[in-house]
Formats: sequence, structure tokens, C-alpha cells
Amino acid sequence: MDAEKDNANPTIINPSDLPSRRREAPTKKQPRIFDSLAPAYPSLADPLSSPEASDSDSEEEAREEIDEQEVYDLISTISDPEHPLSLGSLGVVTLDDIAIKGPTSPRSRIIIGLGVKVRLLNCLPPRFRIDVRIKEGTSNTADEVNKQLGDKERVAAAMENRNLINVVNTMLATCE
Amino acid sequence: MSDIQLYLLEVDKNKPEAQSTAARSASKLEHKELKLIDLITSLEDYINNKDDAALRAKSVAYLADVLEAVPPKVLTGQERRLLCDFILGRLEGDSEGIGASARVLTALEERGKWDPETVQRVTKTFLDHASPLKDHKLQTDRFAVIQLFDRLLEKYRAPLHELHTSDPEFLAKFIYFFDGEKDPRNLMVVFSILHVPMTEWDISSNAQDLFEAAFNYFPITFKPPPDDPYGISAQDLKDRLRDCIAANSQFAPFAFPALLDKLDSTSMNTKRDVLHTIQSCVVSYDIKTINIYAITLWDALKFEILNVQEEDLAEGALKALALMAGKFALQEGFLNAYTRPIMKECNQHLEDAPTKQSTATGRILYALASSATPVADKVVKGIFPNLFTLYQASESLTKRRGLLEVFNEVVRAYLDRFRLQPKLNLEGLIEYGRDALGVMLRVLTNAPKAEVSLRLTALSGIAQLVALRGLLTEDQGYRAVDAVTEIVLHEQVPGHGDIRSQAIKTLAEMARTAPDAIRNQAIPAFMVELPDSPAGDSSYLSVLEAFAQLSSEQQVFDTVVLRLKNKYNVANAQGASEEYQQAMLLAILYAFTHGSPMPDEEGVIRGNYFAEYVEPFSSTIIQPLQAGLDQKFVDIVGRLCNAILRQQGVHFQSQVYNKNLDSMAAIRNDTTRSSAHTAPFTLYYYASLRPDVVEAEDIIALLQTQAKLALDTKDHETLPVVLQHISLLINKFINAKAMQATLQSAELEVEALLSAVSPPPNSIGVAFAVTKALLIQGKSSALTSEYLQLLLQLLSSPDGKSVAKRFTSLLAPEEILTKENHCQVSGLYKQKTFSRLVPSLAAAVRSAEPSTKPNYLIALSGILRWLPYSMLSTSLPSLTPPLLQTLDLSSPADQEPKASTLTIFESVLMHDPDTIAEHTASLVTRLLNCTAAPANIAKVRAKSLQCLALVPKQLKREAVVPYRRQVVKKLMACLDDGKREVRAEGVRCRSAWLGLDDVEEDGEED
Repeated sequence: MDAEKDNANPTIINPSDLPSRRREAPTKKQPRIFDSLAPAYPSLADPLSSPEASDSDSEEEAREEIDEQEVYDLISTISDPEHPLSLGSLGVVTLDDIAIKGPTSPRSRIIIGLGVKVRLLNCLPPRFRIDVRIKEGTSNTADEVNKQLGDKERVAAAMENRNLINVVNTMLATCE
Repeated sequence: MSDIQLYLLEVDKNKPEAQSTAARSASKLEHKELKLIDLITSLEDYINNKDDAALRAKSVAYLADVLEAVPPKVLTGQERRLLCDFILGRLEGDSEGIGASARVLTALEERGKWDPETVQRVTKTFLDHASPLKDHKLQTDRFAVIQLFDRLLEKYRAPLHELHTSDPEFLAKFIYFFDGEKDPRNLMVVFSILHVPMTEWDISSNAQDLFEAAFNYFPITFKPPPDDPYGISAQDLKDRLRDCIAANSQFAPFAFPALLDKLDSTSMNTKRDVLHTIQSCVVSYDIKTINIYAITLWDALKFEILNVQEEDLAEGALKALALMAGKFALQEGFLNAYTRPIMKECNQHLEDAPTKQSTATGRILYALASSATPVADKVVKGIFPNLFTLYQASESLTKRRGLLEVFNEVVRAYLDRFRLQPKLNLEGLIEYGRDALGVMLRVLTNAPKAEVSLRLTALSGIAQLVALRGLLTEDQGYRAVDAVTEIVLHEQVPGHGDIRSQAIKTLAEMARTAPDAIRNQAIPAFMVELPDSPAGDSSYLSVLEAFAQLSSEQQVFDTVVLRLKNKYNVANAQGASEEYQQAMLLAILYAFTHGSPMPDEEGVIRGNYFAEYVEPFSSTIIQPLQAGLDQKFVDIVGRLCNAILRQQGVHFQSQVYNKNLDSMAAIRNDTTRSSAHTAPFTLYYYASLRPDVVEAEDIIALLQTQAKLALDTKDHETLPVVLQHISLLINKFINAKAMQATLQSAELEVEALLSAVSPPPNSIGVAFAVTKALLIQGKSSALTSEYLQLLLQLLSSPDGKSVAKRFTSLLAPEEILTKENHCQVSGLYKQKTFSRLVPSLAAAVRSAEPSTKPNYLIALSGILRWLPYSMLSTSLPSLTPPLLQTLDLSSPADQEPKASTLTIFESVLMHDPDTIAEHTASLVTRLLNCTAAPANIAKVRAKSLQCLALVPKQLKREAVVPYRRQVVKKLMACLDDGKREVRAEGVRCRSAWLGLDDVEEDGEED
């Protein structure tokens, strides 16, 4: 059975080497250990002035934009249909291959492309135009696959195929 | 009619009646009203009836029932022998009623011990005339026979063994007799019967038959019926069967091939049984036998580890391998033969590390090395030379990481055993351990910082080597500590992953085995990084945090806190910022609350810390004429005092109390400055004291001052502290009997406080503080209820909303009113508050005017917020409507009640989804409304999405499908929420709803 796979014994990236928001900015907004020395519960005095009521006001305004890391987090947990491993740990999707406001191009075959596409359609707001493409030079059928992934009708048609739906659902089952 | 006739008439219809007939016969025998011979004669027509087998069986059953009812000593030895002969004679010609016959014999044996000849004759009669037992259809019949045999084996082992030694055919007949038994109750006994010859007799000529007699049942697939009255589980059968298979080394030639054959089964349960049985065999069979099969077993077991199907199967195989290694540990020859092929294969798997195989190799080597020192040393010799050759020959950092991971597994095996036996001989590891330290230190310092996993592997390897006390040279220990300290102190720039927090943990661990290195190298290095007076930024904070964490090791605790105090003194003398000085004090506080201070002989924190770490700071607070104290400083010193003083005994506390009595009174009465400045310290100081240490007048005076202060102050920072103080004094020091009088004298009586038409906020605050103290004390029930009612009445006042918000403080977690602070904490106060407040609040919500309704909702959610879910789950039917209404609160200030209500709905959806099913429509709508920004804060939006995600998972599909389209559509907005955390919840929630219906896959994209 293993022999049928393109790569039966793939290199697996160690989880601690995968890109994560924490790693990107470890010092940002980490809770400080001394903060726990004085817990903030509602006090007997006017609760409006208690610490917990006022903590989120200032942060409430600041918007956190959707960035490459967030898209990566959305799709890196998709399972490869052949290996019980995530696309992130197999290096199928990398942070570098994701671009906001530019053509995106995760390297993948049609089914992975489809899974990524469905995941992003489900998870990103509609103002995003989602462009999933095979990375150049990684597949000799790239043009054909890109055409299919780019064609809304064909993606919709693909998602009416029971078998394909099942495969894609299995892939997405590992996403949180 | 004779007894036998009556019995036969009833036995099929009315068993108890038949048995009482038998009992009557027994009683007649006992009282000599009936002779045994007449009883037997009366049976004649029935017991010998040629045409009716059932009738014959029932007649024997009558005899069995009679004999079982006969008291001991009624029958003479001769009568018993006669009956025995009679039954055995019958059996030779007619095995009908075999169960009853066995019961007769059992009853006879119970009434008089048998001689060896009788035992042997009984045994032979059954084996010769009733074999195999399976031909007898009734389970109860067979059970009676099996029990008889079990009894014989228990009491007459020698005569039975003699049958075996004198008759070469006996054992075969014995085995055949039980062949084919299928009933689980019978099998339980059969297994234990067979276990006797298996373990005690010479079975060489029958080994295979005996083995198969048990193994035929492998694997046990029995499932007990529901409500099984016998309570036999599959596990019981498995355990006994396993004991049989492992009973005798002579089974090995049959057992191992058969077991390994079944290891290829597709059933995980079968494989699980096989692995457990192999483990038992390895333990029980003798070492020479295991030696013969060791390699065969390795060749089969390894696949379970290299290609893990189920984690517990891999663990089972690893355990079997380890048991074998342990068995061979003291037999060099066997051990070599066993480990040679394993080492060879493991070395091959290291070639292309890291792979699944190399990870499995690490597990195998860990399992072997954990079994015994000689095996561990063998692993070191067999693997490490090759491992380090591969390491040096490879340029690939990934490969190096894979190899170090395997190395760490072997060392972990040493470490796990070392922790159990500190005298463990580490000699076998010394050479490679010391070399490896150098290798891993180079990785830690020289490898690119982006190689997080490699560096983490090296770090954990170093930590393990240091933990093996005595393995490294002293110099190496210092170098290890240096390298890790270096990471903690200097790797703070973004992009280096998680290594720093791991390094801090490692350093604290190293303090256990290398305290000198920590004291002499790490701590001075930390001190260098902490300026006497920092310039501006707070970058010192992460150094300080790391440093404080070293206090978790007792051996370096004193050094850590002393250095911190010295640094504080320098900073203070140099006029460093308040913030910096306080950070130093917080670090000391962290050490005392989260670290491991030295205990005294009684196990409590040492008292002299008080003089060293509290008094130098508290003296500046208690001193009269000390002006301009920072309240944060006072607070920290108070907490420090609390951490050290509250654990001390009465004697120590009394000394402290009496020494400070005058100055505490002086600062209390000092009107020239605001007592606000000292309030937090006084609070923690009195929180530390045991009730029997203080003087009553002092407390009353203090209570009066605090009351006055609370009612007069306009200082928002001081008020909460003073209110806590009032609660503390009332709860801990005031006796319930004197409560009302004391409250009156201190002007703290709640009715009086609230008597004004519109009571001032300070009075309301004090009223809550007093009520809370009583509530937790739990001793003045009537007064507490009265006060709570007064507070409830305020909810309909014009100022009701601010009162409503205070309700949440009643049950909020307490830092001060705790048992550790010697307060009176009733075990039931939460239940009592629930029953006093929640029903009336829920009722008030129903009848309230729209203008005051939010007040009741807010008060209600403030109370429910702190209750364990189990307490409110029974009241859900009446609570659900008000809780749903709470989600409608629209004022931006009402976010907290919404958040806590959502938490309750989350629990309801998890634990009792059925109770909320009827409200699905309104719940879904309200949850969706709560996801809207900016009307809701991020916390509320995220929580409502979590709840909403539970809806399709926890409620019935048909109940939620109608909402799918609406929800999926509305959630689109959450995917573009301003907060990342909310978006992530939105994605989860939407996936949950999309997953509801995969038939019509997602038409939402246009």
C-alpha cells in the first residue's frame, strides 16, 4: 500500500520548527508571572472601578488584521489525504507561499488544492478573493490544475462529487 | 403420598416447595423418624425407571436435596460410605442426573473427610463413565461436577497426583473430561482446575494437550449479558486463561508460535491479549526457554513499535521486550544473543534519522535500557559509538537532531531509574555522557537560532545529563549551567521560538543537582544583568522573572531572596524608580509564594524569614511620621508579611503582635496623615494573625476606625481595602453571639446603614462587606437573611443598577477570607446563598417593571457566576428564561453579566443539552446577537461563538438544521471580526455548522 504513494516515507517537520504566531513575537503581550501575585476579582467597593471591568477597554479598539500567519494557521492543520499528517508538518504549505493581496500559490495537487480552497472559502470573509494555485515547476499538470481551481463552476461541480466531498471532509476534520 | 412422590410432583413447577419436602425428609432422618435405608428403598421405582431418564435424574436430585439439608453428624461413616458406593455404582451404569450425583458426593464429603481411595475412586468413576463432560447438556449439571473436582483438587491434591504418577493415561483422560466446555462460569473453574497439573505435575508427555485445553479458548471474546447476575467479566476469563498459558515452560514450543500467529490478527483486542499473554509468559517461563524464542519474539514484536497501529499495542510490545531484557540481565551470554540483532537493526534505523523508524528506535532502546543496568550499559556500548560517528559524519542539522533524540531516550532510561535508586551505577554511561555534553553544548551555543527543535533537543539532553548527579565533571556542570544561563539572559529578541522558557525551567531543575554551579555561576550572572538603577525601559523584568523562578529549588532559595533583597537595598539607596524597586519586592514575594522556602522542624516556613524579609520593609510603614508611602509598596509588603507570618504558630505570632501593638494603634489613630497609606499593610497583617493571638479591645477599636474610614473616605483606591478589612475583622474575630451588638457599636448595622431614603454609595459598600463576612462565617443565619433581603430591596431603588453590580462581589473568590488566614469559612455558604437569593431574584425578574428588570438580571448573573455548575443545574428550568433575558442586556456597561451567563450556557450545552432544547430558537438568535461588534466586547463575542459551536454538536440534528442557513450566513461577519481570537472562534463555529449538512455542500460562496 505504501508503494502506491508518491513518497512513502516523507520528511516530517518538527512541530517546534513550524511557523507560529508565538514564535514570531514571543515577547509581545505575554502575561507576566508577577501579575498573578495579585488576582483581580470584583471588589466590594463600586464594581465599576474594579480591575476586571476596565481591562479590555483600550485594546477593544485596535484591529488585528488578517495576515499570512493567520491564513497559514487555517490551512496548515489540514491533513494530507495520503499520510495521516498535517500539510504544515509535511511542508506542503509554507508561510512563504502565502501572500495577502497577491497571488497565492501553495504547492499541491488538485485534491490538496481543493481542500485548501474549501477551507479558505469557509473561513475567510467574502471580501477576500481566494486564489489557490500550484507552485510553478512542481507539477507538470500545473496549468490544468490551476485552471480547475480557479474556475468557480468547476470547483462547485467538484464539490458535488460524493467521493471528493468525503476526501475533503476527512482532510478538514483535523482542523480545529 | 411419600416424600419422593411429593417431591417429584412439585420439582418442575415449584422448586422451593420441592426443596422443603426434601428438607422435611432430612429432618425425619435427623430425628430417626425415617431410616436411610427406607429412604433409598422409596426411590427404587423412580431412580431405576428404564423409560424415563428425567425421572431418574430427578430422583437423584431429591437425594441430593435431602443430603444437603441434613445437619452434620446425622449420618454415620458407614452410611456415608454406603451412599457413596450407591452413587458411584449408579454412575457406572447411568450418568443421568450427573449434576445431582456430584451434589450428593459433595454433600457427603462435606459431612466427613474422604480417604485417598475414595477420592481416587470418585475421580476415576467420573473420568471413565461421564466423559467428556460437555455431553451433559445442562450447565448446572456440569457446574456441580466441576465444583466437585475443584474441591477435590483443593483438598486432596496428593491422591490425585498419585493417580497421575501411577497411570500414564490419567492426565489425558483428565484433560479430555473438561474438553469443549463453553459456559463462562464453568470455564472460570475449569481454568483454575487445569492450572494445578500445569504448574505442579510432570506434564512432559501431555504438554501439548494440556496447553491446547486452555489455548483453544484464546482469544476470549465473551461479552457478559447485561445485568449478568454472576458478574464474570471477559477480563476475569482472560486473566485465568493467561495464567494457564504462562503456567509451564514446556508450553513454549506451542504457545509462542500460536501467539505470534494471532499477533497478525486484524482485531486490536486479540493483539492486545496476545501481547499481555506474551508478557506473562516471559515473566513465568524459565530463562533458557525464553532464550530459545527471544529472537523470534523480537522479530515479531518490533513491527508493533515500528508501525504503530494503536499506542497501547506499541507499549505492550515494548514492555515485552523490556521484560525479556530484564530476564537476561544477569546472564551475559543470553543477553548478548538477545541484544545483538536488536542493536544491529536499531543502528540501521539511525542511518536516515529522523524518521518514524528512528523515533521507534529511541523507544525500543529506552525500553531495554530501563530494564536493568547491564542492559542499559549494553545499549550504550552497542549504539552510541555508531550514533556519534553518524552524527559527526552528517552535515544535516535535522539528522543531528534525530540522532540526539535517540541519545536522549537512552539517557532518560538511566535518569528514570536513577530517580528511584540514587545509588545507581552510572559507570557505563560516563564516557559517552561526557562526550555528548560537549556535543550538545556546541549545538546550544553555535547552531543557528532558528533551529529551534535541534536546540531544544540539546537543551533537554543537557538537562538530563546534569540531573544524573555525579555523571559529569564539576567543570562540565558549570559549563552546562553557563550555557543555559546565557540563553535565559541573552536570548530575548523575537524569532527564537520557545527555547527561553524551557531554558528557565531547565535552570531551575539544574539547581537541584548542581546548586553550587547555580550559586557560583548563574546567580552572579543574573545579578550583572540587573542594573542598580535601570534607565527607562522595563527590559529588566524578564531577567527578574527568570531569576525569581530559581527559587523553586530549596537549596538555592536563600541565595535567591538574599540577592534580591540586596539588590533592592542598592536600588533604593540609589534612588531607582519606584517601579524597579517594587519589581524587586514582587520577585521576593513570588519566591515566598511560589518557590520553596526552607521549612522549620514542624514543616512550616521558617520564622526568621520574618525578621529578614518583612520587618526591614514593614518598619518603614509602621514608623510614625512616615509620609508619602506608595500604596503599591505597602500592598506588596503586606502580602509578603502575610505569606510568612500566617503560617507561624501562636507563640511566634504573639511576640510579633505584642511588639507591634502600640505602633499599630498609633498609626491607626494618627490623624495627621491618611491611614489610607497603611491600609493594605494593616489588612494583610491582621489577615495573618490567629484569632487567639489578638486582644479584643484592639479589634473593636480597629473595627470602629475602619468603619468610620469606610463611610467617610472619598479615596477610590483605599475603599476596597478598608471594606475587605471590615469583612475580615467581622468574620475572623467577632463571635456570632455578640455579632449584632458589636455591629451596632461600630455603626456597622446594615439596617441602620441603609435606612436613608437613598443610602450613599459608601454605606451600601459597607453593607455588602458586612453581609459577605456573615455569609462566609455561616453562623448568624437570621441576621444574614435579613441583611440579604435589605440588599435585595435596594434593587428597585433609583440607584438599583449600581447595587445590582455589587452582588457579584458576595461570592467572588476571596483572597482574604480564607482558611489559610484563619477565617471562619462555612462549607455550605455558596449553597446557602444560592437558596437565599436565586429563587427570589428569578421571581423578581418575572414580575419586575421593564425599568428595573435589568437590575435583577445583573444581580442574578453576578451570583450565578461563581457557583459550580452542579449547584445550579437542577434549577435550570426556572433559570433558563432569566438567563436568556440577560443576553438581551444592551448597555455597553453590562458586558460582564453577559460573559458569565454565556459561560453558564456553555456548561448547559455540554452537560444538559436536553434541558435547553425547547429554547433552541431564542438561544440561537441571542447567541448570534452577542457576536455583533462593537455592541459586545471581544470576550463576549468569542464566548458566544463557543456556545454557538456547541449547539449543532450537542442538540439533536433535526432541531438545529433549520437554523443552519441563517447561522452560516450571519457568521460570515465574524470571520472578519477585528480580533483574531474572535475570528478563530468564528471559524470553528462556522465549521461546526457547515459540518451539519454535508449533503448540500456549502452554497454560501456567492
